Amino acid sequence: MAEAEGDPRDLVKLTHDKLSVDTVSDSVTCPSCGAISIFIGTTRNSFEGMKVVQLEYEAYIPMAESELRKIYADIRARWPTVRHICVHHRLGVVPVTEASVIIGISSPHRRDSLEAVQYCIDTLKGTVPIWKKEVYEADESCWKENKECQWT
Amino acid sequence: MTTEVSVFYFAKSAELTGLKSETIRVASELTTVELWQDLVSRHPRLSAVRDSVVLAVRQEYLALGDVRVSLRDGDEVAVIPPLSGG
Repeated sequence: MAEAEGDPRDLVKLTHDKLSVDTVSDSVTCPSCGAISIFIGTTRNSFEGMKVVQLEYEAYIPMAESELRKIYADIRARWPTVRHICVHHRLGVVPVTEASVIIGISSPHRRDSLEAVQYCIDTLKGTVPIWKKEVYEADESCWKENKECQWT
Repeated sequence: MTTEVSVFYFAKSAELTGLKSETIRVASELTTVELWQDLVSRHPRLSAVRDSVVLAVRQEYLALGDVRVSLRDGDEVAVIPPLSGG
């Protein structure tokens, strides 16, 4: 039965493919939820006046998945009404303006999923082993550092 | 006692070593800073990022310092530069 309330879903995907908002949204849809909150992180075209021509992401994939699942456990402890959680993160070369991460969380009422999405992206930036390199014009490049990262 | 572990390098540390991963033999009982020094002895250019990395052992973060680790055959060790996901 499509309408049956199954177990809460904890979904993770790290992929070299282009991300889809619809796929993330559909994966957290549930009949008892009045809210699906979505965060889309996109890639910027400049950094301190330098033109970014390309971005590249890499991950320690199994650890990234396990760190995401720790975040999901925290979310479920803090916002027990949260129903489904889904994070898709892009890897490899990401053209400027495309999504690098999409987070979708559903809950019966909007406040819980909105707060949980903010917590999820803020914590992801500080704990999930994924790295972004910006490649600039003139062949320069730089590995970025999130301000949420605790050890720098 | 020594043990054979897989070491993974990411981001800047992979550029400095020229490697994504390698298998090495190290002491099975040591501190994280001793483990780091072992990696630097193999790849001296790694010393440039000493103050900005942590290690992961069996996929759990460990700061560089007087933190004891017991390694077993086949364990995963990773050099983790500052994160920039999202």
